[in-house]
Amino acid sequence: MMITRMLAGNRGYCAAMLAAALVAPAAQAVPSFARQTGMACEACHTVFPELTHFGRMFKANAYTIDNLKPVRGVSATKEEMLALSGLPPISLMVQVSQTSISKPIPDGVGNFSQSSSVAFPQQISLFYAGKIAPRLGAFIQLTYGNDEGTIGIDNVDLRWADNKLLPGDKSLIYGITANNNPTVQDLWNSTPAFGYPYASSNANVSPLAGTQIDGALGQDIAGVSLYAMWNESLYGEIGTYRSAKQGAANALTGAAGPLDGTTSNVIVGGAPYYRLAYEYLWGRNSLSVGLYGATFKLVPGGSTDAPGTLSGPANEFRDTAEDFQYQFIGDQHLFTLAGTRISEKMTLNASFGDGLGADNLRNDLTTTRITGTYYYQRKYGAVLGMFSTTGSLDTQLYAAISADNPLVGVVTSASNKPDTKGWIAELNYMPWLNTRISLQDTQYTKFNGGGSNYDGFGRNAGDNNSLYLLVWFNY
Amino acid sequence: MKTLIVTASAVAALLMAQASLPADEVSAEAHLAARHVAVMTCATCHGPQGRSIMPKFPALAGQHPKYLAAQLQAFKAQTRGDADALGYMWGMAAPLSDEMIAALAGYYGAQTPGAGSSGDAGAIARGADIYANGVAAEGIPPCIACHGPGAVGTDEYPRLAGQHAQYLLKQLRSFQNNMRNVAVMHGVAQDLKISEMESVAAYLQSLR
Repeated sequence: MMITRMLAGNRGYCAAMLAAALVAPAAQAVPSFARQTGMACEACHTVFPELTHFGRMFKANAYTIDNLKPVRGVSATKEEMLALSGLPPISLMVQVSQTSISKPIPDGVGNFSQSSSVAFPQQISLFYAGKIAPRLGAFIQLTYGNDEGTIGIDNVDLRWADNKLLPGDKSLIYGITANNNPTVQDLWNSTPAFGYPYASSNANVSPLAGTQIDGALGQDIAGVSLYAMWNESLYGEIGTYRSAKQGAANALTGAAGPLDGTTSNVIVGGAPYYRLAYEYLWGRNSLSVGLYGATFKLVPGGSTDAPGTLSGPANEFRDTAEDFQYQFIGDQHLFTLAGTRISEKMTLNASFGDGLGADNLRNDLTTTRITGTYYYQRKYGAVLGMFSTTGSLDTQLYAAISADNPLVGVVTSASNKPDTKGWIAELNYMPWLNTRISLQDTQYTKFNGGGSNYDGFGRNAGDNNSLYLLVWFNY
Repeated sequence: MKTLIVTASAVAALLMAQASLPADEVSAEAHLAARHVAVMTCATCHGPQGRSIMPKFPALAGQHPKYLAAQLQAFKAQTRGDADALGYMWGMAAPLSDEMIAALAGYYGAQTPGAGSSGDAGAIARGADIYANGVAAEGIPPCIACHGPGAVGTDEYPRLAGQHAQYLLKQLRSFQNNMRNVAVMHGVAQDLKISEMESVAAYLQSLR
């Protein structure tokens, strides 16, 4: 799901703050990988899209393990010039859903929307996912979303990887990834891009705030990072991201770049990204612990109607995060506990001041998510997760009145705080390994800073509770 | 009758094992390539040097090369049909050449097996008895007759010592229901009770 499409706004920094916390990118599982490797889904996934240890290594090796007979080309010196897969690695994903929200959403002129909405489809994605050439592979997703009504670029991860045999028969995998969403390249399901919830309704009310690394910039930036994994256990990665907005054209030339003051939230220079993780296997269990983070310096910029400037002070978002993932993979029972905590330190040099967008030069925002998942025979599953976002009080950043819709609240915060907390419970049935039917119940105990009347217009946190029925298949 | 089946199957297993390339005909380049494949791909499931950590995946260290080569050939030919063979190994073995199969089998055969792991003492003792003596009342022959003292196996019959109990149990059940279609082991396992399988598996896992 292209979250960033929601983020368009004339206050760049504020728009970027709009959260993706619960509107997670729809995670992916692609049967083209199974066709390419000749292995069943369970080799790489506990249940899609969560990866097993083998799935993580498949990804680290640039999606290139290929057991099909290739179309080959070699040079006179036997150098491999081509190894085309016998089958193009194309997959299709379809999501159809219905969402019921506890209390209908007011539209600003005294009317209420329907309390439930059908998305048919919510999303259809086309993937190229698999090997391109020896050591080169790709995961490219094109998505039609019902909220967009158009097809656009979704998550992309292009990888090159090689490996070395070390003394003592240890392995070293190293590679490069070029991608458009920080953590989409990550190997564990405890980081944002492929973390739970793997799918959620785009008809829900989204909380006001989320950290930048938590999907806020996905598909609007592009980065390159180098990574290495020693002995299938110690993983390190370092990279940098730049703005690469889709659909943005230079106001003067009409060409696709460079970005100018009609675009918002543009990264100044490069945004450094890092990742360190360690995985330990014993018996049927695996445990990983890790750190990741990035620092984004964003100039607010503007819009076509109200151009800003891409020079001068920038708002800095320094995100540091810890994560863990425990997996138990038995033949009958599978259990995963995963969590992350992302701490964001904001220094709002561009937006600090009366009428500029933020009361405080420095604000904090912390998001925590912990999720437990159980499956029986990869067929019947249940998930229980908690989420929490807390942060500083700021009357401008978390405004009580919406400039666009001053007569209703819903997406505002009467207390000027971003605090949102709650639970997700989910039941799953998988009639086949590539088909899931799930019922997801989201319950808020706090929303945009309050439990009751959080928006000052009489709406309670629980009014945003939702029941989401999803049919999801991949082919 | 059971003896006849055992003999016929043993001959079939022998023929299958001999169908693969002898290890001494494998080039030095193939040995190096196999080592690379073993460390970079096979080890992800079968563990470092074939000393498997995850009990779903069998330990390969110290396994007899002829047996390993025969299994890889069976995966490649899609004639070994137990669930994990089908889900994992049919794909993995598909691109392997005869030389690579022989070299991989040689690599794992040369590795030092891992230490066994202990379990319930009662089950191990019962398993040791079944392994050595069979269950005469149920017509179940002793495992030792083929797999040998200490379950170290032979060229034709796999080493079982130190193998994961979970894997062994799943294989015994696959032989029993013929998902893994090996007549000799179907003959042995068809009347085995689950508790007896568990005991034998616990005993074998405990061996070094």
